[in-house]
Amino acid sequence: MAFEIPKQIYSGAIKSVTIGKGGKAITLGGETSYPFYVFEGAMPHVPRIAMEVWDKNPGDEWADPALAPFKDVAGDPVAWAQKCIKNYGAEAIALILVSTDPNGDDASPEAAAATAKKVADAIDVPLIIYGTGSVDKDAEVLPAVAEACADKNLIIGPAQDKNYKKIGAAALAYNHTVIAFSPIDVNLAKQLNILLGQLGVKDSHILVDPTTGGLGYGLEYTYSVMERDRMAALTQEDDKLQLPIICYLGQEVWKVKECRLTNDEAPHLGDQTKRGILMEAITAVDLLLAGADLLVMRHPEAVKLTKSFIQELAG
Amino acid sequence: MSHHFIRIGENLNVVTKIYGQAMKERNPKPLQELAVQEAEKGVDYIDVNIGPARKGGEELMEWIVKAIQEVVPNVPLVLDTSNIAAMEAGLKVHKGRAIINSIMARPERMDGMMPLVKKYDAYMIGLLWGPEGMPRDEHERGMLTAEILAKAAEYGINNEDIWFDPIVAPLNIQQSQLVANLEYMKMLQDMAPGALSTCGLSNASNGVPEDLRPIINRAYVIMMQRHGMASAIVDAFDDELAAVVAGKKPETVKIVHDIMDGKSVDIAAMPKDLQNYAKTARVILGQVLFSDSWLEV
Repeated sequence: MAFEIPKQIYSGAIKSVTIGKGGKAITLGGETSYPFYVFEGAMPHVPRIAMEVWDKNPGDEWADPALAPFKDVAGDPVAWAQKCIKNYGAEAIALILVSTDPNGDDASPEAAAATAKKVADAIDVPLIIYGTGSVDKDAEVLPAVAEACADKNLIIGPAQDKNYKKIGAAALAYNHTVIAFSPIDVNLAKQLNILLGQLGVKDSHILVDPTTGGLGYGLEYTYSVMERDRMAALTQEDDKLQLPIICYLGQEVWKVKECRLTNDEAPHLGDQTKRGILMEAITAVDLLLAGADLLVMRHPEAVKLTKSFIQELAG
Repeated sequence: MSHHFIRIGENLNVVTKIYGQAMKERNPKPLQELAVQEAEKGVDYIDVNIGPARKGGEELMEWIVKAIQEVVPNVPLVLDTSNIAAMEAGLKVHKGRAIINSIMARPERMDGMMPLVKKYDAYMIGLLWGPEGMPRDEHERGMLTAEILAKAAEYGINNEDIWFDPIVAPLNIQQSQLVANLEYMKMLQDMAPGALSTCGLSNASNGVPEDLRPIINRAYVIMMQRHGMASAIVDAFDDELAAVVAGKKPETVKIVHDIMDGKSVDIAAMPKDLQNYAKTARVILGQVLFSDSWLEV
């Protein structure tokens, strides 16, 4: 008898979520198998990569190799976003509202909303807006952004269990998609999706952010939670988890010492630029293998490497 | 369900503010009232948890055993402390056959406490907590069981005097541990013929919103009972749980068994109370991922 490769039977599928508007809108999800197991099911929409743009000049907060490609546009989020699209072919932009950090610049919701609108008006690819993760501040900032950018189908978050009502309601009112953020726990991820559903947010307007750990700094926890999430979604018909996953990894990767130490400080670690790019690309690939549908990445070279990997695996 | 399922009331506990205070002040009244109420609810034993009781534990245990047995002389006590001297002080004055709660599967704990079992003709709870802490699965539970049995043999303690406690973990963070206990229970009588068993049932629902806890405890005890669990330390005032383990709710029990057997059940067609059991059983078995809204989805 000829050998037959055993096949996983899938009883569920990931739902599709479309982000952005018009010709450059992107559809995520739709998988009927584990990530890239195209011999067992379909992956109708390949994972996508959004490039990270800060609403202020990151300065020293970014390692030099990460900032180098954007030196000329840092501090001007519109120009920065446009450069990502024109020069690096970004399929989506993730605007991080770092300036709203209550422990930092503490910019007002109005100012943040104005910046978001400027960027949204200047680009035609989908726009993701991340707050700082401050429960109270995000609950003020993200609704203001949602209103200013009504009907653009932005992706706004992170919505957490303590502020999902305000952020979810704003997304509902102004037709945006919500990022449901939970702290590395598949049960809590499920619970937040249920709560958003009870609020009236449709599955077609939710992306799941499971909390992203960078290579060497918690990536394995994220990986396990994502795996568990995908197993429940695809083999246990857990419809509350059948949603595309977004991972914001740029920040997690580039903040660690292995990316920040310069060539002079750590010659034994190899070239800093190459090092950081590889750390980011490898983290990205791991997250893709665990089930990520949308990655938020920082360095253009890491983006390029990751894209080629996606093409190779998804065909 | 030929055997009577033994309920041990958990409520008399030092961590409860009012009873902790009463213990501290040596005020017998609240403790005696609670003991009487638990007895009225038909518990077979009353657990008396004085905590680690590092200071004055001996005097406290002696005092509390006397105070409680004064009002409920026919309900034996489960003496619950990690303080060995306090345990002995309680056993000394206890009338009837008490249960020592508990002896861990660690050499120093076994050598320290097992002599008390013989000396005072007590039962012991063999807690499957080893030198490396909580066992990870049913096999590690089996190994710890063997350790306890070997030591017990040295001290002349029979299987029939040991209540094995496989340790119940919270469903919302360690679901697989609940299943490991079920697997362990299937093996127990082969490893330790005649041995008894018990568990701190309420820990299964620890961390879940208060009003949703009982359904987890009840569904899980049905599962454990099916695999031979002889008793559980439970909320004495959960009347439905008492009815369930006494075989007074055959319909409810059947639903949980059907889920365990993988039978296809039409949950949507059931009345709400049975739906809750069915959904909870599915979550415990890992067929559905837990979330705080598990009964609503």
